[in-house]
Amino acid sequence: MTIKTEWLDYDVIVVGSGGAGGQAASVAAEEGARVLVVSKDPIGCSDTKISEGIATVRASGSDDDSAAGLSENLRMGGGDLNVEAITDAFAQDSQAGYDRLRSHGLRPPIDAERNTPKPLPLPLGGHTKRRSVGHRNSGIAFGHASWNAVIEGSRIDYLEDAWFLDLVTEETGAGKDAPAKRVIGGLIYDASKGCLIAVRAPAVVIAAGGLSTIFFPKTDTMRGNTGDSYAVAARAGAELVDMEQVQFLPFCLASPPSYEGLCAGEPVTASFLGVLRDKNGKVILDGVYLRTRAECSSAIMRTVEAGNGSPNGGAYLDMTANKKLPRSGPYFMRFLQTCLPSAYNTARQALGKAAGKCEVEWEVRPGAHYQMGGIRTNEHGASAGGDGAGETAHGIAGLFAAGQAMGGVFGANRLGSTALTENAVFGARSGRAAAETARTTSHTANDDAFAPFIAETASRFGQKGDVAASALKLELQRESWTCIGPVRTADRLEKLAALLQDWRERLERVSIPAHTVWNQAFMEFEELRNMLETAEAVAAAAQNRDGSVGGHVRLDRGNISAFSTPYSTVVNRVPDGGYLVRRVARPRQPLKRLVSYKLQENWRKFQIKLLLMMPSGMQDKNLEKRYQAIMGASGAAPEVTPGGVDAAIGEATKA
Amino acid sequence: MKVEIVTHRDGKEATVGFEYEKRFEAERPMVLDVLLQAQARTMPDLAFRYGCRARNCGVCTVDINGKPRIACRARAREGDTISPVATLPVLSDLVVRRDGIARQMRGRLSSGGQGNNLNVEAPEAYHDLTACIECYACLDKCPMHARNFDGGLPGDVQNAEDLPDASKGYRWGNPFSLLKLQRIRIDPLTTDAGRQAAVDNAIDLGLDACVGCAGCKCGVGIDLMGQVVGELLEAAKDRLPSSKT
Ligand SMILES: Cc1cc2nc3c(=O)[nH]c(=O)nc-3n(C[C@H](O)[C@H](O)[C@H](O)COP(=O)(O)OP(=O)(O)OC[C@H]3O[C@@H](n4cnc5c(N)ncnc54)[C@H](O)[C@@H]3O)c2cc1C
Ligand code: SF4
Ligand code: SF4
Ligand code: FES
Repeated sequence: MTIKTEWLDYDVIVVGSGGAGGQAASVAAEEGARVLVVSKDPIGCSDTKISEGIATVRASGSDDDSAAGLSENLRMGGGDLNVEAITDAFAQDSQAGYDRLRSHGLRPPIDAERNTPKPLPLPLGGHTKRRSVGHRNSGIAFGHASWNAVIEGSRIDYLEDAWFLDLVTEETGAGKDAPAKRVIGGLIYDASKGCLIAVRAPAVVIAAGGLSTIFFPKTDTMRGNTGDSYAVAARAGAELVDMEQVQFLPFCLASPPSYEGLCAGEPVTASFLGVLRDKNGKVILDGVYLRTRAECSSAIMRTVEAGNGSPNGGAYLDMTANKKLPRSGPYFMRFLQTCLPSAYNTARQALGKAAGKCEVEWEVRPGAHYQMGGIRTNEHGASAGGDGAGETAHGIAGLFAAGQAMGGVFGANRLGSTALTENAVFGARSGRAAAETARTTSHTANDDAFAPFIAETASRFGQKGDVAASALKLELQRESWTCIGPVRTADRLEKLAALLQDWRERLERVSIPAHTVWNQAFMEFEELRNMLETAEAVAAAAQNRDGSVGGHVRLDRGNISAFSTPYSTVVNRVPDGGYLVRRVARPRQPLKRLVSYKLQENWRKFQIKLLLMMPSGMQDKNLEKRYQAIMGASGAAPEVTPGGVDAAIGEATKA
Repeated sequence: MKVEIVTHRDGKEATVGFEYEKRFEAERPMVLDVLLQAQARTMPDLAFRYGCRARNCGVCTVDINGKPRIACRARAREGDTISPVATLPVLSDLVVRRDGIARQMRGRLSSGGQGNNLNVEAPEAYHDLTACIECYACLDKCPMHARNFDGGLPGDVQNAEDLPDASKGYRWGNPFSLLKLQRIRIDPLTTDAGRQAAVDNAIDLGLDACVGCAGCKCGVGIDLMGQVVGELLEAAKDRLPSSKT
């Protein structure tokens, strides 16, 4: 049986219907482009929809919140791996981008006096100003906004249950100063119709989210994060940047299985006396509340490595000391419950009553959350390549990326509440730029270029073999955790490289039935293909970065000094297989800022020591005062974003 | 623990038994855990939808013993029968085609409210309705939605060609589409014309079916009868045939 192919023509294809895709589509349509949105999940179903729903809106808290300040905050947090033109664009457009979400029905609480959306009471860590706006119904409110953006607009056509498989490109034949390749469209599998769709389009915006599913079930994200964004772009020859920078949350649940991977808390919610213990009860990290997410994750994983981990491959977060103190204990419980309410509720449901009351320890383990790296672009989301910040002349013409798909925004670390804003800002920017490309492109697509993609894809339906894609996926997920997960070593990176080769061979032996409507085995196959591609890109970048920084923790190497010259890794697939890796230099923050950061960090660590040395009664009184200061008259703790730096106070000192 | 999974392939229905292996003695798995294990162990290309595993994304809805449930947060029990949601046409195994619902809302959502001052607080009810995760559990036993299938279920339609074309959007509405319209009505940024259009659209989608209806229930606890159906019926009361009861 063969699968049929239909042909369509559009100006702009947008891949993904989360926050970034929704905005890209609506802006491109407003600019006059005929837009096709392609989404493998139902429209709006995405990480955006399941997020905590806290977004950065500059100047929402104060008038002196400059664009330059916000941009610097992002780069300080990101260890200077970020591209300045991109962080500047983020800062300049955050309000306009957010207002576009409001035009699609997002309704924040309002500060009537200032006539602005009302931010949370404290600046989130890493932000030097109050500018993080929380929303009722968390991410679901953003999910409705993406849904509305796509469904409302009469100029936007869309396909859901439709997998974008590959970009189709052609050589431009241009000289050195213009891109060597341009996008002429893409190939789609429409699962509900049971056909392939070849779409001719001069511009494609990739907004298909991240890669955390490579680590499933050790992740809190949507199952669709199979690295499709990066794999599709890499196969077409685009450069990816900072791919080793995967953000792991340290305190995700390790059990029971139904809750595995979901976020239970953050370093800050462990509060003043929270410690991590190994299976023998030995303290492996104290002062947890001041540590970075990476520090906590690596302490847990080092313990597991040494054979002292908990039964499910994690460690124990012990907050009982906070709870026991007579005066400050009740404050602590309120702090824990109100800081990150959804995480606390998840933990209580999963771990039971005694754990909910912090009478016993919680078993925790890191979980994949966000990919900082991604498709290398300029500040309009246009594919870029070459040295330094990158130029579009060395990218692929007509290729754009937005949201988690793009790199260069957050460098080695993403600050809290910034991803939803990233969607709004770069969704709009890439949508506008893609429409512009479509307006100014006059060439007609060469249908022959689609033929090999169609032939190869069609041949998969009815492919005979002895391998189940879903089983191979599980194998890849298990190994990715050990080899490119929260801790890495040269040996393991090499091991993964060998495994990847074996898996690629087995991929060809995946058994796929011939039926064309919603062929689950074919989808698993395609996602697996993308996961292999992405894992290889992460491993290649991780091999090159031979020291720890941000989300990349090497067990066998030291930390990369903040005083050394920062660089980003850039990888691109070479046609005959494998990834080429190189480094591009980044400008460093002024030395004075870095020295003051180091001093602050040491001072904080010294404070933990002092606190722990105090006699218990004195400790209790001291803590009571501190809680009162944080929680104020209302007695409620400020909300904390999972994945935000606010949740890892240690990182916050970088600003 | 043994359960039955109703699969669909190429138009053929089959019921397959699956023995769930508990991963520890006291495990009380969710239905989604059972499906994941079935896929990993014995049914490698079992088709089902899921996303967040945390009752947020709304795509994992299946029927358990004939009632719609959110698979990631519904405990599996000995002898359960897991089948695709009966109110929508099956694509494969437990996957149903959802497309016809959202598509019926195309061209019906304009609030006409562009250009207003955006800094206006939305009422509490607006947020109550925004809690909808679009799980479609509320389609269960909805007579308005059933009109799309001659008053029955998609499974009752004998010939596939007689099913309404989902890619054009279903002709008749459902609690979710009414919720989307009611949300426009209570948005402070909607113009009077936008509010009126929402009522017109509700009537066009078949609001008359709600008159005297026993009512719908939301999978996440939104008060559909009070906050959606009741409000719309009130707004349209002069334009609908009066209660049949
Ligand atoms: C639990 C959690 C809490 C979070 N909380 C916050 C927060 O409070 N604040 C914040 O700023 N950030 C938060 N984040 C991060 C943020 O939600 C995401 O980074 C962001 O929403 C990603 O948006 P996106 O549009 O890039 O991708 P997504 O929203 O993930 O959308 C991806 C889209 O692409 C589609 N897709 C994927 N592959 C394909 C393909 N091959 N073909 C067709 N379609 C495809 C998917 O179906 C989906 O529609 C959180 C994340 C999680 C998981
Ligand atoms: S109204 Fe309730 S039951 Fe219906 S789709 Fe929304 S959340 Fe699900
Ligand atoms: S009240 Fe209206 S929407 Fe609810 S089930 Fe009855 S007909 Fe359907
Ligand atoms: S998997 Fe998202 S609601 Fe069940």
